[in-house]
Amino acid sequence: MTPSRRERGSNEEMGHNQPLYANHLKIYHYQHGNHFLAAMSSVVESICTGIFLEDAEILKQEACAGDQFLLCLKAPECARYARPGSFVHLQCDPRLPMRRPLSLMRASPRDNRIELLYKAVGKGTRLLALRQPGERISLLGPIGRPFQPHPEHPRPLLIGGGVGIPPMIFLADALRSDRRFRPFAVLGSEVPFPFQPRPSQYLVPGLPPQVIAAMPLLDDWGIPNRLTSLSDFPGCFRGYVTDLARKWLEGLDKSARAEVEVFACGPHAMLEAVATLARELGLPCQVSLEEFMACAVGGCAGCVVQVRTKQGPAMQRVCVDGPIFDACAIFG
Amino acid sequence: MNDPRLVIDFCGLRFDTPLVLLSGCVGFGAEYTRVKGFSNRDAGALCLKGTTLEPRLGNPPHRICETASGMLNAIGLQNPGVDHVVEQILPTLDFTETRFIANVSGTTVEEYYEVTRRFDDSPIDAIEINISCPNVKAGGVAFGNDRKLSAQVVAACRAATTKPLITKLSPNQTDIAANARACLEAGSDAFAVINTLMGMAIDSEARTPVIGNNQGGLSGPAIKPIALLKVHQVYQVCREHGVPIIGQGGVAGAEDALEFLITGASAVGIGTALFYDPLLLPAVNQGICAYLDRHGLINVGQLTGSLRLHPSPIDSAEDTCPERARPGTAVPKH
Repeated sequence: MTPSRRERGSNEEMGHNQPLYANHLKIYHYQHGNHFLAAMSSVVESICTGIFLEDAEILKQEACAGDQFLLCLKAPECARYARPGSFVHLQCDPRLPMRRPLSLMRASPRDNRIELLYKAVGKGTRLLALRQPGERISLLGPIGRPFQPHPEHPRPLLIGGGVGIPPMIFLADALRSDRRFRPFAVLGSEVPFPFQPRPSQYLVPGLPPQVIAAMPLLDDWGIPNRLTSLSDFPGCFRGYVTDLARKWLEGLDKSARAEVEVFACGPHAMLEAVATLARELGLPCQVSLEEFMACAVGGCAGCVVQVRTKQGPAMQRVCVDGPIFDACAIFG
Repeated sequence: MNDPRLVIDFCGLRFDTPLVLLSGCVGFGAEYTRVKGFSNRDAGALCLKGTTLEPRLGNPPHRICETASGMLNAIGLQNPGVDHVVEQILPTLDFTETRFIANVSGTTVEEYYEVTRRFDDSPIDAIEINISCPNVKAGGVAFGNDRKLSAQVVAACRAATTKPLITKLSPNQTDIAANARACLEAGSDAFAVINTLMGMAIDSEARTPVIGNNQGGLSGPAIKPIALLKVHQVYQVCREHGVPIIGQGGVAGAEDALEFLITGASAVGIGTALFYDPLLLPAVNQGICAYLDRHGLINVGQLTGSLRLHPSPIDSAEDTCPERARPGTAVPKH
């Protein structure tokens, strides 16, 4: 779920390549809220706690490179119940008639804090960037099904592109405290990374030796990671995230590779490439999707995406049926 | 517990407050209850998502986009079909919370009849007819934009149920009052005024419409003045028959709700505003009560149609442009 592209409702972020749908397809599978809860027992905890409307105080608003901003909010309920993959629906500015969905980068229940990293690309996020510490923002959250790592796949591969990086940090934060998992992360960006890259302290088999740039936070958490870009940033892999991910996967022996589960967030084209790679290697893959959003609680069906189900094609709501989906259901 | 002064009688149904949650905004009644502090009990009634005979996938994305003081939507009637709604969803609703109103849609008169008939044999409190659907037998022109077709749909639904029938009128027509009169004669018990106004948003970089369906319905504060005028016009038809109106279109606070009541509405619909403030219902109820206090009124019903029009200079002259001077007088009398 990429905050910049998640910034709905202003023309500059609108996707241009629309799939063709039959307007009157009769095959249908509606995921009604109650049925959905029954089916997704592992998700029940986070959804049943509900969605909170909080008047969140801005604790910090920090400008980073590439029009990216780090926003820290005091939002106790959201901080308490947020999970990796969750998002919040924000009133960026009182002048706007609609809220904007932004994915969470971190949540700290102890400090009542949540952190978001977003890129100012549309009307909403540009106005959000003007908000100052001490001001309050109405926040609806946490919303959505979280990422679901499976212990039978103890090698999570986290792939984040651009402002799809923040949810990967949230997931990494959750995985680092669970000794069963040995994650590896690939983060890509064409604008300068919103942190100062540094050489990784970890050697990773299969990767070109000159590819050493890493995100310090993840490195400090003990999570090996590498950075990719086509913009010639020092130490970064020159290529797509999927190119480096493939090198890492090919560096694993067969039994280790079978333990990999892929988690991805980023531009749609990147997600499609990640899904293709995962399918080729027979790996499970969860992707975080985005769509323009109105209510964000499942009431309006404005944010749907077409998915494949056993019963046939279905339109599912990105807000509450997602935003995390099985890549096979989306990209086939 | 809502203030007893807010209780209204709507077609024989007790609404605890005049606020109605609008179809398409609140799913099938359970979705918003996930928001802490939200209760269906703060509304007098809740209109369920538009329902057709067969399941429908709805329109491709994007289905919504923000516009100046509002939004466009083209959901395309995504719904699981009337059988699923009646058998699987209605049994999960708590009918002590509020009055639940079904919203019936169709692409043929026969479909409207059949969906209404299924809901007639259900615990649903009332049925709202969405006559703004395209008529597939007439090249896709919306039923609601033609008064004869509107009346045909209403008559078909009337034949299928004894439950209160509310016709949701479209603003996308020349003479909404004449349409209301035709629907009234066909058996409509009440009206919802207005549905969304058709509009378009363009992505200039891509040179495409933003909405996957190319066009969509405009809602939000942008349409409130139009909605008020349409309520005013329909009220001229309804007043003498005691037919109630749900006034809707851009209501985002108590002041807006009061304006609709004064103009002629008995109840007030809230939809798009919920997306911005999911917990606004209690504040609107309280705001109405504060107004009743300030004006010494004992029931919200006293406000309905209490509008005092300015005298028009054209009244005494030749009636050349009645709509410009006094919108309500444009209604043909017969």
